[in-house]
Amino acid sequence: MATLGTFLLLASFVVASYALSSSVVGARWRSRRLIESGVGAFYLVSALMTVASVIIVHAFVTGNFTIKYVQRYSETAQPLAYKFASYWGGLDGSIMFWVFLLSVFGTVAVATNRERHRELIPWVVAVVSATEMFFLFLMVIHNNPFSTFLAQAPADGKGLNPLLQNFYMAIHPPSLYTGFVAMTIPYAFGMAALITGHLDDSWLRAVRQWTMVGWLFLTFGLTLGMLWAYEELGWGGFWGWDPVENAGLLPWFTATAFLHSVMVQERRGMLRVWNVTLVIVTFFLTIFGTFMTRSGVVQSVHAFGEDRELAMMFTVFMIVLLVFSFGFVIYRLPLLKARHELDSWASREAAFLANNWILLFSAFFVLFATMFPTISESLTGQRLTVGPPFFNKWMQPVGLVLLLLTGIGPLLAWRKSSVANMFDQFAWPVATALVTGAGVYALGIPMWASGACFALCGFVVGTITQEFIRGARVRRGATGTDIFTAMVGLVGRSRRRYGGYIVHVGIVLMFLGFAGQGFKQEEQALLKPGQQASVGHFTIRHDALTVTNDEQKQMIEGHVTAFADGKVLAQMTPAKWFFNKHDQPTTEVAIRRAPGQDLYIVLAGYDVSTQTATYTITINPLVNWIWFGFGVLAFGTGLALLPERAFAFAIARLPADAVTTTLVLLLLAIPATARAQTVQKSDLRKQLEADIMCSCGCRAPMNNCPMAPNCHGLRELNPKLDEFLAQGMDREQVRAAFVAWHGGQDILTAPIDRGFNRLAWLFPYVIGVTGAVTIGLVARHWSRHDPAAPEPVVAGSSDDPALRTRLDDELRDLD
Amino acid sequence: MSSKAYKLGATALVLGLAFAGLMYSTLSEGTEFYKHVDEVMANPSAWQGKRLQLHGFVVDKSILRRPDTLDYRFQVQSNGKVMPVRYTGVVPDTFKDGAEVVLKGHLASDGFAVDRDGVMAKCPSKYNPQSPAARAGS
Repeated sequence: MATLGTFLLLASFVVASYALSSSVVGARWRSRRLIESGVGAFYLVSALMTVASVIIVHAFVTGNFTIKYVQRYSETAQPLAYKFASYWGGLDGSIMFWVFLLSVFGTVAVATNRERHRELIPWVVAVVSATEMFFLFLMVIHNNPFSTFLAQAPADGKGLNPLLQNFYMAIHPPSLYTGFVAMTIPYAFGMAALITGHLDDSWLRAVRQWTMVGWLFLTFGLTLGMLWAYEELGWGGFWGWDPVENAGLLPWFTATAFLHSVMVQERRGMLRVWNVTLVIVTFFLTIFGTFMTRSGVVQSVHAFGEDRELAMMFTVFMIVLLVFSFGFVIYRLPLLKARHELDSWASREAAFLANNWILLFSAFFVLFATMFPTISESLTGQRLTVGPPFFNKWMQPVGLVLLLLTGIGPLLAWRKSSVANMFDQFAWPVATALVTGAGVYALGIPMWASGACFALCGFVVGTITQEFIRGARVRRGATGTDIFTAMVGLVGRSRRRYGGYIVHVGIVLMFLGFAGQGFKQEEQALLKPGQQASVGHFTIRHDALTVTNDEQKQMIEGHVTAFADGKVLAQMTPAKWFFNKHDQPTTEVAIRRAPGQDLYIVLAGYDVSTQTATYTITINPLVNWIWFGFGVLAFGTGLALLPERAFAFAIARLPADAVTTTLVLLLLAIPATARAQTVQKSDLRKQLEADIMCSCGCRAPMNNCPMAPNCHGLRELNPKLDEFLAQGMDREQVRAAFVAWHGGQDILTAPIDRGFNRLAWLFPYVIGVTGAVTIGLVARHWSRHDPAAPEPVVAGSSDDPALRTRLDDELRDLD
Repeated sequence: MSSKAYKLGATALVLGLAFAGLMYSTLSEGTEFYKHVDEVMANPSAWQGKRLQLHGFVVDKSILRRPDTLDYRFQVQSNGKVMPVRYTGVVPDTFKDGAEVVLKGHLASDGFAVDRDGVMAKCPSKYNPQSPAARAGS
């Protein structure tokens, strides 16, 4: 199998080089057949890489320890999910995974754009193939994941590092790689546009969605990394400005900049050179990030170890890449002339420009500071290092300015804002910011960084709310629906704009979490059993220290009771795990999560003989908003990415007031579920309460009766349930007893899963699937024959002056 | 020279100067010298009071801890030169006899004084993706 794998890698290299040469020659000679065969070869690479991936995953799953890579990163006892994750757990595999993703993405991108951007395709194929060839070359020459032991192979593997055996860590690298690799596609299209000279905006349209997808995955990967660091590493924070973390952040900055500046080019035909440059820089930074983490050029405790040969190859590739890319930019400069000049600094394009500068500055600052030890050593011979405080000192103000621009941008009009217009737009957001600032000041939160951040968050939220409300009002006036329905319609009409605003809300929530770090509290305490330590309004008591073993590891657990304001809050068990096959123990943090603040306890040291334990107790305010903010951000991005059809369908067929009804129902459901969770009950009892229908006629299960706690049905049922449970019945017996007592199965919320009753179980699924298929078919039908479905709404109501001004505005924006 | 290019140049110059100035001032506070024990011991008085990241190996059986406290005393060495170290706080899991460590702190008259959370112990094996945890030391 290993031989086949190596052969496949070689074959991929050969096929990719054929794809490269035949597309280049085909494009030069304008030979349709050569181009077609190049595309075919290009597809073939992804097929070959898929087979190679299947082989290595198979080797991991079956435990083929003759392959060195498998032996090093896997073991028999490892859970199956982590055997999959081992594929990208080490250097060689991660490069292979990279090529696999790239070939698949390339195939998808070429297949979807083949007809629309015919003239660009051969060059896209060429650029992506060249990148694939570089990585394949690395693997074949230097880091073959399929290389085997020449002599006797070991019987078992070393196992994946326990720190990486964590759910978030299993999905963090693929997410980050997906983001990195997706950035190759915009680069390939950008280069194709430069080479062919087709530098109108069509290449931008082809790559816009790719950039968004890549950006989403990059953000997801970075967030997962933070979550992993927070839960698994136990140092109380989530971002340490480690070179490897920074490597992921660098392209994120430039990709974010690109997503904004691309709008300026679409609307105003400006910033063309800038956009091409950003695409090139983003791609370069993904390669550079890979280089930084894999060649050992930067000292990092979690880089992949030093490798001079690899560093050389990467350096050559990067130099070629830069010369080639910027060479073409300079060559095509005459074609990249802007269609317009900047009219005024008080305009949206100016805000975007400022945002771009700051993002680019952030990227270069982080790059500089990360490389600083290496730079200083090569210049002066002295190795000077900079730590997280240095990064924070610079990035805090930069982040705040970015946040400010997030709020300002949407308030400014394209081209030029008049003073009256600006006053009208800024009044409410500024008021929100001032109120928030005053509130923060009254609470005594330090004004620099945290306080300012909160005020700015208020400002941005004010801006976004105002945008939504004003837009919805116009639409309501036009369509005559209620405000919520109008809002959904609004989002549907310009998904990118309002999806973008939702992304901004997510960013604001994440900034809340970052600001919370400004007033986190940390204590270290050495405690004997019974002793207590206090941090903020929390007190923890050390109860005992225990040592237990299981097959994989020895666990040393501290047992802690946490109190909040004197009341018992929770029993917590921070621990250290010593895995049998690894020297280094892992820290198992005990976290008590809450929206306001997390109580975060680490067992930092211990002495089993005296039962003393050292705890690091951290109060992390607002940290959960980061994870939640990412959810909002992902939702917004998804909205912006949704295809036109899906939305057109939903809006056209949406009955008026449907949204409001849904919202009201949701609001009703939330308190009901919240109430159901308040009383502590045994698990069995909870299950049964969901199983048994309340008999008051409310048609709800016992745990969800809207009449509770004054329900006559529950008053009858609860003692009965207690009685059955007291007799020691299990779940099925209690259910049977209730059926017997009531005299029919209709007392149960779900029929007993047996015999004929199974059909009843199946029924909802059958209906669900049928419904989904029907909706899909109908949607397809409608979107095909009725493409103008959402348009009449606007056309029929253009008498409305408010809408007309807005429409004019939008049309003018479109030039 | 057109006035536009002139303005642009002036703006770039001001921004560049401001940036360089800020960078210089913050760098001088933010940087630390990365040194091995023997390099520092060659001329200790030159390093007194400077912010250092000291690289060395923990001397076997030199780790002492005052009972029921987090006060540590130990020695680090490289190339035969030994330096006494004092530290108060939590040590990383990998901190033990013979471990390769990087200590953040400054040189005082009685030895090297490590900052809080300033003990970083390196993992002995190569690609063992280690964490800021081991670095930050808590």
